[in-house]
Amino acid sequence: MATTPILEIRHVSRFFGGLAANSDVSFSMEEKMIMGLIGPNGAGKTTLFNCITGFYPPSRGEVLFDGHRINGLAPDKVCKLGMARTWQKVRPLAKMTVLDNVMVGALARTNRLSEAAELAMRQLRHVRLDHKARSLAGGLPIGERKKLEVARVLATQPRLLLLDEVMGGLNPAESEEIIQLILDTKRSGVTQMVIEHDMKAIMRISDRIVVLNSGEKLAEGLPREIVANPEVVAAYLGESAE
Amino acid sequence: MPIFLQSVVSGVLVGGVYALIGIGLTLIFGVMRVINFAHGELLMVGMYLTYYAFTLLGVDPFLSVLLVAPVMFLLGVLLQRVLIQRVLSALPQNQILLTIGLGLILSNTVMLIFTSDYKILSTSYSSGSVMLAGLSVSKPLFFSFLITAAITAALYAFLIKTDVGQAIRATAQDREAAQLMGVNVRRMGLLAFGLGTALAGTAGALISPTYYIFPQVGGAFTLKAFVIVVLGGMGSVIGATLGGLVIGTVESLAAVYVSSGLKELFVYLLFLFVLLVKPSGLLGKSRM
Amino acid sequence: MRALPALLPLAALALLVALPAAMTSPYALHLMILLFLAITQGESWNVLGGYTGQYSVGHAAWFGIGAYVTMMLLQFHHVAPWWGMWPAVAAAAASSLVVGSITFRLRGPYFVLASIAVAEIFRLVALNWKDVTNGAEGILMSDLPPLQVAGHVLTDFTSKVPFYYAGLALAVLTIAVNWAVHHSKLGYYFQAIREDQDAAHSLGIALTFYKNVALAISALFTACSGAFYALYVGFIDPATVLSTEVSVQFVLISIIGGIGTIAGPVVGALVIVPLSEALRANLLSDVIFGLHLVDETSPAGLFLKDNLAHAHALIYGILMVVVILFMPEGVLGFARGLLARRRRGHAPPVAEGSA
Repeated sequence: MATTPILEIRHVSRFFGGLAANSDVSFSMEEKMIMGLIGPNGAGKTTLFNCITGFYPPSRGEVLFDGHRINGLAPDKVCKLGMARTWQKVRPLAKMTVLDNVMVGALARTNRLSEAAELAMRQLRHVRLDHKARSLAGGLPIGERKKLEVARVLATQPRLLLLDEVMGGLNPAESEEIIQLILDTKRSGVTQMVIEHDMKAIMRISDRIVVLNSGEKLAEGLPREIVANPEVVAAYLGESAE
Repeated sequence: MPIFLQSVVSGVLVGGVYALIGIGLTLIFGVMRVINFAHGELLMVGMYLTYYAFTLLGVDPFLSVLLVAPVMFLLGVLLQRVLIQRVLSALPQNQILLTIGLGLILSNTVMLIFTSDYKILSTSYSSGSVMLAGLSVSKPLFFSFLITAAITAALYAFLIKTDVGQAIRATAQDREAAQLMGVNVRRMGLLAFGLGTALAGTAGALISPTYYIFPQVGGAFTLKAFVIVVLGGMGSVIGATLGGLVIGTVESLAAVYVSSGLKELFVYLLFLFVLLVKPSGLLGKSRM
Repeated sequence: MRALPALLPLAALALLVALPAAMTSPYALHLMILLFLAITQGESWNVLGGYTGQYSVGHAAWFGIGAYVTMMLLQFHHVAPWWGMWPAVAAAAASSLVVGSITFRLRGPYFVLASIAVAEIFRLVALNWKDVTNGAEGILMSDLPPLQVAGHVLTDFTSKVPFYYAGLALAVLTIAVNWAVHHSKLGYYFQAIREDQDAAHSLGIALTFYKNVALAISALFTACSGAFYALYVGFIDPATVLSTEVSVQFVLISIIGGIGTIAGPVVGALVIVPLSEALRANLLSDVIFGLHLVDETSPAGLFLKDNLAHAHALIYGILMVVVILFMPEGVLGFARGLLARRRRGHAPPVAEGSA
């Protein structure tokens, strides 16, 4: 039974001046799957995220969400449609409280502050940050900031979640927490695309992996296929593949 | 046609001085990403220094550049050390508020000390003219253009050929990388603000024979400087040079063909237009 | 604001309402009116600058529209100001939407520059469109029509008391608006924009739309303050209502007190108004002479006597520099920081009164 893939990337290229940050990238994602997006630094992973979520349009190609072309749609509209992303360099709303941060996310789905506060507290309990609800987001250590960002973005009730190196800079215990969160999110029916450098984590959580190198799609397949792919290994030479 | 040519030529000559103002501003932005809203006031200080050098010491305004430039340089270094340096890591909006405050302090201190009376610096050649390819051109404008061209050439040579100049450009392009390469970025900041101030003051000296001198004269020049710099690309010295010439010409033509009173309006509208259409300027950003 | 019991502002309000009965000196009333005006200005600016973080240094544009439209309707078309202020306010809000749609593409300091340019454009138009605005001559108000309700004359505006109450009402209104914004979805969205525009965008916030809403609200009440000023002072010209100095004052009131807070502009007004008046009324120089710090008849003394009154803008500049350098969070932020340091410990900083 063929269902419309939730996300389709068709021949997407993105140029900056003469530089091709993304070059003819194509793949698609089914609902509820976790797609790992890996590649050496500078491969174009975050650029792809930015193209998908509307920070800039693809120079060529199409992005389809639920079968609808969303090229050039503004980021806020993309969020309202049900696609949300986190940031490589985490972006807390520093002078607002942890609760307020998540409420901003929740307000994408409701206009009532009381309802938003409830939804927000629920997300905070889910990521185990509820005890910090009244703390200023700017004062949190990195591990909690990452969890906050996940809680905030989940409060927008996305159908597709893009996570950009959400485990970057975390210790093993914190990373494990994030992995559990990701698996939990999958169980609740949200589709996810995860950019990660932590190979062990990617292997554990991904249903399928896409490898980018120098802007192009190098390989796509199951985790065990990717790990055995000599081209992928070669691309990572010079980077320590765990 | 002669009127047109005449105003273009006058415009280009004035544009040379505008270019100096723009280069100073763009240097400061390029090296420190600070938007110096007090730039016009620094020019005004240069004008007053020149005026008093002329009336008290009898120094010809064009000669007094040799005096004004170093003094303004030191003033710039002082301002950087005491004020600007402290806000380098503040919000850019706060930085610009600081320089707005600085501008208010400068113009109002001058007003308190010297009153708001308009001063006129007239030299023997103030109303003289020179024949240039069949067109009559104001003498002081002509001389100031020559001096401006010389200064600009010297500045280019400094930035491209000398070690210090290259260090400045490196800092402007990538502060962290420059630091890693051993450049003392703090000193570059002092240099940049000093140089920028010196250039503004010099521009003031050069235009003092042709403009009324009063404490609020800086304001119009500040906004003009910004148009120039945004037009040419924030951080680009070549861009500021070209921008200055363009603005000088546009203003001159507007004064002749539209109305003298509205020429400022024109410049502000152009400013908004450029900010919106091509915020990175004609020559792109951050390339000195 | 949660730290203050809700009773305190109400008590203060009751006091202020009763004050003119006890305080009859016209000068004291004048000071209070100036205070109310400054509070209104600060709270109006705060909606845009404090909450969304878009620092407009061109609010004179909206102040000027409020002043000019009201005054022109009154003087040239004999429209009573309580009717005339509505088109003025509407004009300000409408033109702010146009300006916002254009200038909100710019961020940070570039927006500041654009706001300055816009205000200057408005000033130059007012200066040059002599047929409509009287240009540099300005507009002098001949007389305010008496305020009548059902044939009864409530006031003929010869005393300052009606202005006192109008000013108080405006100040309270703008404080209430700030409070309402703070405790609404708008407030959350505005602050998100201030904290991180791109993050806000990705969380479903339409940036230009919300910035425009903030600006429209801000411009609306700023225009109110402009209309009020025009009617109270009775004379306007481009130099007094459309100048950069006016715009700077708007910014200062909020910055001194503490940007993005409801009480901040009140604190800022409490600092700026007494200070400017002390300067203007030669109080400061009197104090300096009284304390024998400077001999009144010495050259320095004479200089001070002549010039301190005009040092207005200089003081603004100094205040701006001092606040940015040493108290960028304003007096309130500074005080909060002191308290937090005193509460020193392992508890992470706790915010007061949100959600």
